[in-house]
Amino acid sequence: MAAILGLIVGVIAGIFLQPDIPVALQPYLPIMVVAALDALLGAARSYFERSFSDRVFVISFFSNVITATLLVFLGNQLGVGSQLSTAVIVVLGIRIFSNVSSLRRFIFKG
Amino acid sequence: MPWIKKLHTDAGDEPVRIPPKAKGRIHGGGDDTTTGSFPVVRRKPGHVLDARFSRVKVLTSLLVAFLTALLGFGYMVQVNNTKSSYEGLSEEELVRLLDETSTQVDKLEERKSQLSQQLSSIKSSADKQQEAARIAQQNEQSSGILAGHLPAKGKGVTITIDESGDRIDAATMFTVIEELRNAGAEVIACNDVRVVTSTYVKDTKQGIDLDGSKLHSPYEFNAIGDPDALQNAVQIAGGVGSRIKVQFHASVSVQQSNSVKIDQIRLPQHYQYAQTVE
Repeated sequence: MAAILGLIVGVIAGIFLQPDIPVALQPYLPIMVVAALDALLGAARSYFERSFSDRVFVISFFSNVITATLLVFLGNQLGVGSQLSTAVIVVLGIRIFSNVSSLRRFIFKG
Repeated sequence: MPWIKKLHTDAGDEPVRIPPKAKGRIHGGGDDTTTGSFPVVRRKPGHVLDARFSRVKVLTSLLVAFLTALLGFGYMVQVNNTKSSYEGLSEEELVRLLDETSTQVDKLEERKSQLSQQLSSIKSSADKQQEAARIAQQNEQSSGILAGHLPAKGKGVTITIDESGDRIDAATMFTVIEELRNAGAEVIACNDVRVVTSTYVKDTKQGIDLDGSKLHSPYEFNAIGDPDALQNAVQIAGGVGSRIKVQFHASVSVQQSNSVKIDQIRLPQHYQYAQTVE
């Protein structure tokens, strides 16, 4: 409930505020969003598994975002920023897919 | 429960043993969570709801809400950013954009050169107009003098013809004017009339009609030009001066002067049919 409320509030704030992103943050923001999405879907899965824990969610959220950002940062430092960000996106995408399929199986029992 | 009763009846002193209830959750009810894919996790034993714990729970809910809000916010910001930046575009799109942009740049350059050409032509024409205005101003005086709009003064001669007997005819008058013109007279006036290109002379019963005004003796011609040439033009042997003397018995005197002043002017003529060629 709190998660859904927070999501709605954040989207509305993003629509109405429309801030300018600092240039330094620009390559990392999409990765951060995808990583946070992965954390959110993992939390949804664990919620349905009845093993949801606030603390785990918070930690996984931050660790996901920070790890993804650091990976892309490292890639930028090494000159393979776009490739590494693609890799991160692929891995997170796979995780998101598996989470979604787990949710689907839970909801539709099949 | 018949078997309990039976037990009871079988062993009267034995206490009745009720089978213990199954621990945990009863499966098959409405709250069944078995899906085959998730291990069924038992609900955690309910926490004791004291004040401290509920405060922590509210705090963590707020934290979760904050994090998801952060996610939603970041998502929307990125969506807005993607709309306005070229980062997410493919190579083809970027090439197309670059092409379009360079085409636009070319067009704008072309337009710019056109406009600057126009500007320079306008500037030069403005200069030309200024120049033309200056020349026109310069010409205005000479033309005005030539056309008789302006009074003039300068070196020239004054010719006085005093008829004593016969009336001098228009043809002779006209010859006098023509001779003066031939001799290079720039401005000519006769009595009250400024002689210009359109001046006519004709005979009438009352006398000579010069441009619509009657001439009476003595006729006084003022002419601006080279004094010697003008004097010669009239007084040359066998010229118009001697003819007037012989034919009409009139006296002709020519006086050179350094400052002949001609005040007679001719008002500007309004042309009815003639128009200037642009």
